[in-house]
Amino acid sequence: MKVNSRTLAAVGALAAVGLALTGCSGNSGTPSEGGTLTVWVDADRATVLEDVAAQFEEDRGVAVELVVKEFGDIRDDFVTQVPTGNGPDVIVGAHDWLGKLVQNGVVAPIELGDAAADFQQVAVTAMSYEGQTYGLPYSVENIALLRNTALAPNAPATMDDAIATGQALVDAGDAEYAFLVGLDPNAADPYHLYPLQASFGAPVFEITADGTYDPTKLALGGSGGEAFAAQLAAWGEAGVLNTNISGDIAKEEFVAGKAPYFLTGPWNVPAIAEAGIEYSIDAIPSAGGQTATPFVGVQGFYISAKSENTLAANEFLVNYIGSEAVQTALYKVGGRAPALLSAFEAAQSDADVAAFGAVGAEGVPMPNVPAMDAVWADWGATEVAIINGQGDPVELWRAMVASIEGKIAG
Amino acid sequence: MTTAIVTDSPEDLARRGAKERRRPFGRWFRETGWRHLVGVAVLVFAAFPLLYVLSASLNPSGTLVGSNQLFRVVDIGNYIELFNRPTLPFAAWFTNTVVIGLVTAVCTVFLGALAAYAFSRLRFTGRRIGLLSLLLVQMFPQLLGVVAIFLLLSGIGEIFPVLGLGSQVGLIMVYLGGALGVNTYLMYGFFNTVPASIDEAAKIDGASHAQIFFGIILRLVAPILAVVALLSFVGTASEFVIASVVLTEPSTQTLAVGLYQLVSNETSKNWTLFSAGAVLAAIPVMLLFVFLQKYIVSGLTAGAVK
Amino acid sequence: MTAPTPATDERRRARAALDQAPRSLRGLLVKVAILGVVDAVAVYALFVLFLQREWLVFGIAVAVLVIINVVYLRRGLLPAKYLLPGVLFLAIFQIFVVVYSGYIAFTNYGDGHNSTKQDAIDAIVLTSQKRVPDSPTYQLTVLDQLGLLSFLVTDPEGNVSVGGEDRPLEPVTGYGTDATGKADELPGYTTLDFSGIVARQAEIAALAVPLSDDPNAGSLRTPDGSRAYLYISTLEYDEASDTFTETTTGEVFRDNGHGAFANSSGRELVPGWKIDVGLENFFTAFGTESIRGPLLATTAWTFSFAFLSVATTFALGLFLAIVFNDKRMRGKRFYRTLIILPYAFPAFLSGLVWLGLLNQDFGFVNQVIFGGADIPWLTDPWLAKVSVLVLNLWLGFPYMFLVCTGALQSIPDELSEAARVDGAGPWSIFRLIKLPLLLVSVAPLLISSFAFNFNNFNVIYMLTGGGPRNVAAGVDAGATDLLITLVYKVAFGSGTGRDYGLASAFAIIIFIVVAIVSIIGFRQTRALEEIDR
Repeated sequence: MKVNSRTLAAVGALAAVGLALTGCSGNSGTPSEGGTLTVWVDADRATVLEDVAAQFEEDRGVAVELVVKEFGDIRDDFVTQVPTGNGPDVIVGAHDWLGKLVQNGVVAPIELGDAAADFQQVAVTAMSYEGQTYGLPYSVENIALLRNTALAPNAPATMDDAIATGQALVDAGDAEYAFLVGLDPNAADPYHLYPLQASFGAPVFEITADGTYDPTKLALGGSGGEAFAAQLAAWGEAGVLNTNISGDIAKEEFVAGKAPYFLTGPWNVPAIAEAGIEYSIDAIPSAGGQTATPFVGVQGFYISAKSENTLAANEFLVNYIGSEAVQTALYKVGGRAPALLSAFEAAQSDADVAAFGAVGAEGVPMPNVPAMDAVWADWGATEVAIINGQGDPVELWRAMVASIEGKIAG
Repeated sequence: MTTAIVTDSPEDLARRGAKERRRPFGRWFRETGWRHLVGVAVLVFAAFPLLYVLSASLNPSGTLVGSNQLFRVVDIGNYIELFNRPTLPFAAWFTNTVVIGLVTAVCTVFLGALAAYAFSRLRFTGRRIGLLSLLLVQMFPQLLGVVAIFLLLSGIGEIFPVLGLGSQVGLIMVYLGGALGVNTYLMYGFFNTVPASIDEAAKIDGASHAQIFFGIILRLVAPILAVVALLSFVGTASEFVIASVVLTEPSTQTLAVGLYQLVSNETSKNWTLFSAGAVLAAIPVMLLFVFLQKYIVSGLTAGAVK
Repeated sequence: MTAPTPATDERRRARAALDQAPRSLRGLLVKVAILGVVDAVAVYALFVLFLQREWLVFGIAVAVLVIINVVYLRRGLLPAKYLLPGVLFLAIFQIFVVVYSGYIAFTNYGDGHNSTKQDAIDAIVLTSQKRVPDSPTYQLTVLDQLGLLSFLVTDPEGNVSVGGEDRPLEPVTGYGTDATGKADELPGYTTLDFSGIVARQAEIAALAVPLSDDPNAGSLRTPDGSRAYLYISTLEYDEASDTFTETTTGEVFRDNGHGAFANSSGRELVPGWKIDVGLENFFTAFGTESIRGPLLATTAWTFSFAFLSVATTFALGLFLAIVFNDKRMRGKRFYRTLIILPYAFPAFLSGLVWLGLLNQDFGFVNQVIFGGADIPWLTDPWLAKVSVLVLNLWLGFPYMFLVCTGALQSIPDELSEAARVDGAGPWSIFRLIKLPLLLVSVAPLLISSFAFNFNNFNVIYMLTGGGPRNVAAGVDAGATDLLITLVYKVAFGSGTGRDYGLASAFAIIIFIVVAIVSIIGFRQTRALEEIDR
């Protein structure tokens, strides 16, 4: 390289700026740690947590940083980020993520201590995996049967009753649909159809004595499941179930007063009330003789396994988020029944919450085992095929069970 | 005998005038009118789903699928609501998208023009292979590169915190990784139509290669620069996967990521807000296109250059 | 030989003078300034890397810094000067991504194998601490003596003891209590308040105070600094032999070489860790029944989908470009601006809208356009394929329109004029002159569009999710599944969790397939032959 004025000028500039930058950044060392709790929360709950965070900071001197994320992204981002050491300390999440989180070693157990008895039993069970409790629950939700009392004054005893009443209304021209439940043309909705399936005696996995699932024993098959499959085909044929009616459409039609029954959860109640429909929240009628127990979904907070602030995080969760004031505030924002028993009882003054809670009292948590992933896709696709009459229901159901068992084993 | 000079009587003149006026219509239709027909047909095809979205956005209570009667209700409440949600900062998303899109577009055009000039004007070993490999490298399915991008940005964030995860500059840099690709090829083709004699003439006049490039060539290839800028902007504005990985704070997110949040949560979908947001989201691209249109279609014919 | 004329002499001298004259001063300053800033930033990065002891990255950064300086300070090396910025970004953000994804394909990274072995061991130890049933809750105060931590515990009966790491609990006297009767100070020790606990929380969380001399009685730990509970570990880790032993049954779990601890009957401890597995993922990729079965049909559809997408969008785009290329037509701008609309919308938003439009019972298309027909757009296999193609046409034709408009503009008018003078009709002019020239300049775009649509995950996933699935035939793939959506489902969903290693292996395979097809395409169109001008 020729040494001329150009080169000298260049080297000079480089040296000067380089030294300057290096000098003023000399002590940027390790990132600051301790003293700040990073919490991932979604947009809805962020507002409530802001107050709690401020309170915590004032009482305990530990700052809480709320990062708002899209709820659907939280689980996967958490699993990816924790091993890098840059993950959050606490996240909000659904209970059925737990199996995945434990499988990836990213979540730390939480000790509720004596407070465990203060929460709904199903909530604590949902937040546990293989005997360890991992999350602090804050809400419990389940679906129930919403009934338009103007169209159907009495609660149905069984599914057949409900359909008969609905059909009569359709024939008389007072309604357009006998029964509404939101499905999907490609994946049906096993979650919503589950209580009907449970009433035939076919839960997903076998339920052990302490209320948890045994992921090695698939209970979808057998006579109960096959009877359910046959019934699904019948309903599909009769037009009671229509996979083209999505959740949105179902809500819109029910809000327009076109159906007497709607199988859905508390998230749709505000829209229904706003439209002026007089509704009642009933237990889901049995179709197969046994109780129609819905899936219970629990939401709560988890602590990262690599958090450097485990003590502060535990304190924040158990003593602050687990307190009645916060549980009630979260309930008011989200409309989901609180997991803390005292808050739950206070919330009973809201008739809707009480009604959903009564239905959910019999419910079982959705399985949180990692093996569930293998179940959903086949389960949904098979239900679509059965409802649309694309084959013999029992055969399709058996094929599904075999396929799922193969996936879980292999 | 005198030859009668046949002149047209006034009636004949009138009749011929009328026929001439009518004939142009027939000819007009054959030459241009049918083009308008085609235009309208394509317009309908292109626009009707968007009309649907527009009508849904003006309906305060409908869902996207239920409202088949277009424009049954006209109420701009949704648009107002969009700007009223503190946890869903639409205005911030809009600004972010425009800024990130424009910066990426400008840088992509610049980097691509530099590379296209090199491929077009300069001769070096590996020129052919180089262009081919640029196109090939960009064919990797991005869906699965997301994990790598995440790790890369976390790593960079350790050195330069301002460029790491969560930073818009970091996102722009990831997009610039795709600057050399199909767009470069487009520019290369256009550069080739600028005759080398212009370069020669300028060189004789004493211009350095940089002066030739910045001063002369860039101005001549303005149309393709405009096209690439538009394509890059559109690509960035609708990019979703990487943006959702890199940007996590709602006030830093882009329109694509933010709007998706409105309808991705199973229990709190809001299709009408989403429609309103989608309609507004199309506006920057449309504006950019209108602004750039005269560059895009002015064209550069070989004759004009000489 | 003629004597050199004064003119050529002069010109030679002029050129020589030109070569030696300094280039524009402003240009030089700009170059030096930019180079200075870049170098400064790079030096700073080197500094930080040095502190963090990341030697590999440090070495790479040094090499890059040297290259940048050499290229821009040396005279000549023109191609490098122009290519370097773009190539740098390309190398870091595209090539590295491809290479790293390739690397992942040789590991078992995924659910259950998420991190390093040490993290896995820590996580297993953490989750194997089980609280002894029916054990009481101890009120805790953390004490500090010369840096050594101790626990001062009050059990429900009021007995107070103190202990520390490897120091079993022993009763104490002389303690002070607070209002609730919890012992909160001891002479000779400093009581830590909450902020003191927070400052040392990592240490305190790891502290296990044995209940008594009997190791099987368990130890006290605290989750929040104010209460302690009795824990027993169900799994003990032995560093020397690198095994876990179950305390109750004595079962031993060894590193099974596959990224997990397993016992003799194969039961694995969760979580495992990420290790290199060589070509195993590739073997699985070719061996998985759920992929291999529908592989032929899916590959055929993927190729058709990509090809038809390109063909239809190009045909429509070209047609429209020609239609609107007429100078006499007014309102061209209006049409052009509005035709761009589908392209202006983010693709996935459009996908969701079309999903609603094509609903069999409630969609706009069936209800309004077809007047109440019941066409199963998305649930019939062949109609679903058509729907997906129509959506892709709708999304893609504006881009082709734009490109063809630009390309048509650059075809010199003289050629068409000359042909018209020779008597050729408009269709012949198009077929023999315009189209070949157009194809030459547009061919690589078509090939890139083919590659893009080959992997067009968004469109398919948004509209049909890959379905409809023929469950009766036991086929796991849907009628509109592309290779990439199939890979996504297999690697990310319907197995026992996300398997990034397998997904990356598939990505590499698909990339190779697409690259080969593209190279063949380039050769065929001989588009790049033009480069050898």
